[in-house]
Amino acid sequence: MAGNRYFEPQVETMPRDQLRARQQERVLELVEYAYGNSAFYRELWDEHGVHPRDIRSLEDFQERIPFITKDMVRAYRARTKDPFGGLLCVPPEELTSVSSSSGTTGDPEFFAEIWEDAPPLITAQVRDLWELGLRPGDVVLSPPGTFRNLMDPGYQALGAVVVEVDTWLGKMHEVVEAVRTYRPAYLQMMYPQMVELEHLADKVDLKEAFSSLKGASCAGQPLSRRMRDRIRDDWGIDVYEYTSAADTGTAWECREHDGFHLWEDTVFAECLDIDESGSREVAAGSVGELVATDLDNRAAPLIRYRSEDLVRLSRDTCGCGRTHARMWVAGRSGDETLVQGRSVVLRDIWQAVEDQPETVAGVFQIVRAAREVDELRLRVGYDPELTADVEALAGRLGKAVHERTGVEPVLDLRTEEELLQTMTSVAKFPRVVKS
Amino acid sequence: MARADTLARARELDRPDLAYIVRFPTADGIQETKLTWAEIDRDTAWATAALRGHQLAAGQRALLTASGFEGFWGRSVIGALRALKVTYGIAEAMGWDHRRTAVFHRELKPHAVIGLSAETLEGLSGGADIGEMFRATQVVLARPAAVPLLRRAGVPAALMTTVGPALALECPERTGAHVNGAEWRVGERDGGLFIAAGEGRGSGLPETPLGLAGQVVTDRCGCGSEDPRVLLAEIN
Repeated sequence: MAGNRYFEPQVETMPRDQLRARQQERVLELVEYAYGNSAFYRELWDEHGVHPRDIRSLEDFQERIPFITKDMVRAYRARTKDPFGGLLCVPPEELTSVSSSSGTTGDPEFFAEIWEDAPPLITAQVRDLWELGLRPGDVVLSPPGTFRNLMDPGYQALGAVVVEVDTWLGKMHEVVEAVRTYRPAYLQMMYPQMVELEHLADKVDLKEAFSSLKGASCAGQPLSRRMRDRIRDDWGIDVYEYTSAADTGTAWECREHDGFHLWEDTVFAECLDIDESGSREVAAGSVGELVATDLDNRAAPLIRYRSEDLVRLSRDTCGCGRTHARMWVAGRSGDETLVQGRSVVLRDIWQAVEDQPETVAGVFQIVRAAREVDELRLRVGYDPELTADVEALAGRLGKAVHERTGVEPVLDLRTEEELLQTMTSVAKFPRVVKS
Repeated sequence: MARADTLARARELDRPDLAYIVRFPTADGIQETKLTWAEIDRDTAWATAALRGHQLAAGQRALLTASGFEGFWGRSVIGALRALKVTYGIAEAMGWDHRRTAVFHRELKPHAVIGLSAETLEGLSGGADIGEMFRATQVVLARPAAVPLLRRAGVPAALMTTVGPALALECPERTGAHVNGAEWRVGERDGGLFIAAGEGRGSGLPETPLGLAGQVVTDRCGCGSEDPRVLLAEIN
């Protein structure tokens, strides 16, 4: 496969100086275009005294163009009643479709789309699916949801045949049967499916069932190391995680499984330390906030969009030979909880939860009204088939959390199924909730 | 543009004629049939005519609610909306995503809502008056279990359903959901519906009882269509 590993070799392995030159060209066009066509950007940039004529390089762009946030777009939307928050650069009737974010933290945000063969999000995944090994004639199972528009056209652009199987919650037994019947090369999964498979693992030979897969993807939230090992080693699935490229597209692992590739011909990515005094690029290897600019979106481009994702970014060439940057996600800004002044991070709780056999799937949430709280309230899902004594589990779990965080938690134990059914997104299981 | 280049490269691939393997419930369990690109093109043309019959036209907006495994009809409906130059929003048909349907409906004010499910309505009814919400929507094409709920709430919903692997859409006359008679043969036996592939359908699906109670009407519809129409016992 090495000979045709890249779907678009000239783009995927483009020398970085050429890639940066291409980005600069696109950014300069974009600034002019957005100022001329988007009410939101024109108003914002006027307020900041910035005009496209001031922007002649990427350096100018980074120095002069202000950041935007989700809240700013929401505020514009509330003020003007424009559903697209002023971002739209074309007349609404020119749009092919409108998809949206999951809305786990408020009203869903709209994504205006113009496309021909396949919607934008899945189109940006075509290279990743090729890297995974998907080829014309391969079979894929339909994904659990429509996500940000129907995903099938992306698979079919690569010549894959889609088998229609309901892969949403509670159907993994049927999915396994379908995998045995149709021998798919690829399967899109989400965290709840992984939890369900964990329950099936003792009853079904998953390694045999999934042996046709070239790979499966998983998105929505990071897999823990334990879960990942389980999927790869015990079930024999080469799992490819992917994550959001700050709402400009997605970023996938390649076969090296060493970071998420951003397609930098579609996004200009910055990794920044941002505070009241200003912003600066973080040192190589350090964690900063991902700030993204759409380079391939003429409908409603995001420009210097603060994602709130905390990432490390590397522009070193990957082991796969691709030159596009990779990122590693450290978490979300604001996910850290301060319990009576003591910092508690998700990773520590996750580890404690996974260490108990009954809660090994890692289904848990922090319940908090604000970032600073007096007590650590945890909602944890357990597997009832493995749980003989819920009180005993609570005792062990409370102790384990205390050992890792220094905080005694207030536990609310529920079955995994009960907790997963509270999801309001096909992809995201929120780890921090208000109630 | 990057994505356009990616798709141009994809068009160079030697892609198969087959687009989907469609699994559908029958009286005897799940069966499958194949769906080719040529058939999707014909299904899209048929859906375009059906939606045009609902007065959908360029510049309007529609909201489509569907699930990930419904691409076999979703592609045709999306293709039809594209052909009509109707911008569509998309939400999941599952009940937990009802809030997205509510926000799309509130903000985009769609001319048509297509694929509305009873689960979505159940979710919406916790915070909204369904009748008030959808009475002002010019076209509501709803799934079988949602149709009576909507009609009871004063919304003149039309039926949209699958009949095995075929899509069935009620026209504004609301006298049964049309099935593309050029592609499928539908009928009833002992009060239950069956479907078979028409001659042009590559899969050659034989007559297959669907385990759906209902009737088939074959006389000319008031809309002028000669397509057979399905009346589901569930909503009649």
